[in-house]
Amino acid sequence: MTRPTPVPTELSQPFWEGTRRGELLIPRCADCGTRFFVPEPVCPNCMSATWSYEPSSGRGVVYAVTVVHRAPGPGFDVPFALAVIDLDDGGALLSHVVDVEPDEVATGLPVQVSFRPLDESITLPYFVPADARAADD
Amino acid sequence: MTPRRAVIVGVHATEQALSLPNRTAMDLAMEAVKGALADAGLTAADVDGAQLDWPGPGGVEGEGSSWARAFGRDLRWTSDSMLDNSGARGLLKAAAAVTAGYADTVVVGGCRLVSRGPANAPVGAGVPLEFTDVWGSYVVAQFALVAARHMHEYGTTSRQLAEVAATIRNNGSSNPEAMMYGRGPYTAEDVLASRMVATPFHLLDCCIVGEGGAAFVVTTAERARDLPAAPIAVLGGGMEYHQAAYANPALYREVGRIGRDASARAYASAGITAHDIDVFSLYDPNSFEIIRQMEALGVCGEGEGGPLVESGAIGLDGKHPVNPDGGCLSYAWNGTQQMTLKVVEAVRQLRGTAVHQIDGASLALVGNAGSGAQHYEMAILGEDR
Repeated sequence: MTRPTPVPTELSQPFWEGTRRGELLIPRCADCGTRFFVPEPVCPNCMSATWSYEPSSGRGVVYAVTVVHRAPGPGFDVPFALAVIDLDDGGALLSHVVDVEPDEVATGLPVQVSFRPLDESITLPYFVPADARAADD
Repeated sequence: MTPRRAVIVGVHATEQALSLPNRTAMDLAMEAVKGALADAGLTAADVDGAQLDWPGPGGVEGEGSSWARAFGRDLRWTSDSMLDNSGARGLLKAAAAVTAGYADTVVVGGCRLVSRGPANAPVGAGVPLEFTDVWGSYVVAQFALVAARHMHEYGTTSRQLAEVAATIRNNGSSNPEAMMYGRGPYTAEDVLASRMVATPFHLLDCCIVGEGGAAFVVTTAERARDLPAAPIAVLGGGMEYHQAAYANPALYREVGRIGRDASARAYASAGITAHDIDVFSLYDPNSFEIIRQMEALGVCGEGEGGPLVESGAIGLDGKHPVNPDGGCLSYAWNGTQQMTLKVVEAVRQLRGTAVHQIDGASLALVGNAGSGAQHYEMAILGEDR
């Protein structure tokens, strides 16, 4: 058994195409400028249906983190750091912070997106500590 | 003409257990309904509204009008939604129907044996969620993200969480109806020593999972005059919905205060404040959620929930007793009907017939929530006046 695999929808297809190319695309409302995540039929700030995906820098900070010790299902190696990332250029999303001991992932930690394939069709946006990423580059 | 007032006149909880292999969902739902009617001194023929789970077999699963033939009469009010069939939300909608005159006597409750779902079900809320399931963000982890942020902002401690778990679990330890009856008593140290599930939650910080059903009957105050039990009035209530369950992670900055608006409206309707409530019957999927609700319900200020619970305020002898029956942490969690059990316990407290009776309880607050918590439904119950 593997972990639950995202099934792209009409709304999310461009997002998953972006992660495969190494781009983090976040919806941005054309009318009010709000960046939001997850992709939804209308902007959660102004109800406009006119929004489009725009690239994010992929830089952000950890808003909240939990270290999961009990595997939530098949296909997960525990422990892992499940975190909400506030992106510097707007929007917040759920991910794992990796390449660091899970217990060392703290609220406020600067992080950077790191794309890693889940299978042939889906590439996931993980996050790594921003310093570690800089050292790799 | 005197305005119609809605009151609760009957309650019933079936047995609650980790597993009830000899019972079906329909069998449990039927027992809950018949038990609540018997408690009210009513019969099936008196019922003209059903906000009840229809688990099948037979009929269409979830279709409320299926209950018409079971009651042997045409119905004036039904629901096809499992969330409208339970707890405070079910109560407020039934009370609205009764008050408006759409129906006279509505039964709310039922049973769904969620723990018998497919073994390979998604780890989220039971439906595939594209941006959450893939990260393994199951129920405990979503609540943990909210708790962790509260701890970061206010210095709330694991020990304060453990105090909540020990307090409520010990209520269940000595409640013969509780799934965890006889287990414990626990100290905060015991909770902290149990294995970690998802930080900051240890195993004993998290609720149990089991099976069982429950129901209650809502009718008019006028009809209640002819019935045996003292009617329990719905003095106020409110609901809040931040977003759909589990599609996005719950963020403390968005949902930390959920329940504040609902309870403020309810207190205003009832003409009371949070400090007038004698007993709280609250959703406790984990220890932290009680700390958050004490703040959102206005029992204390934001960030003050940790010290409040550490002071003993939520114990049976405290100023703000919470879940004398043992709650979801020890008495029962059975899917959506655990919300109905919160109403059952509040009614028993107000009747003076609870297992752990709070002396002189005359005002009770029922609170349901879920998904991190991204929604909140609550009601204030008291003697009809």
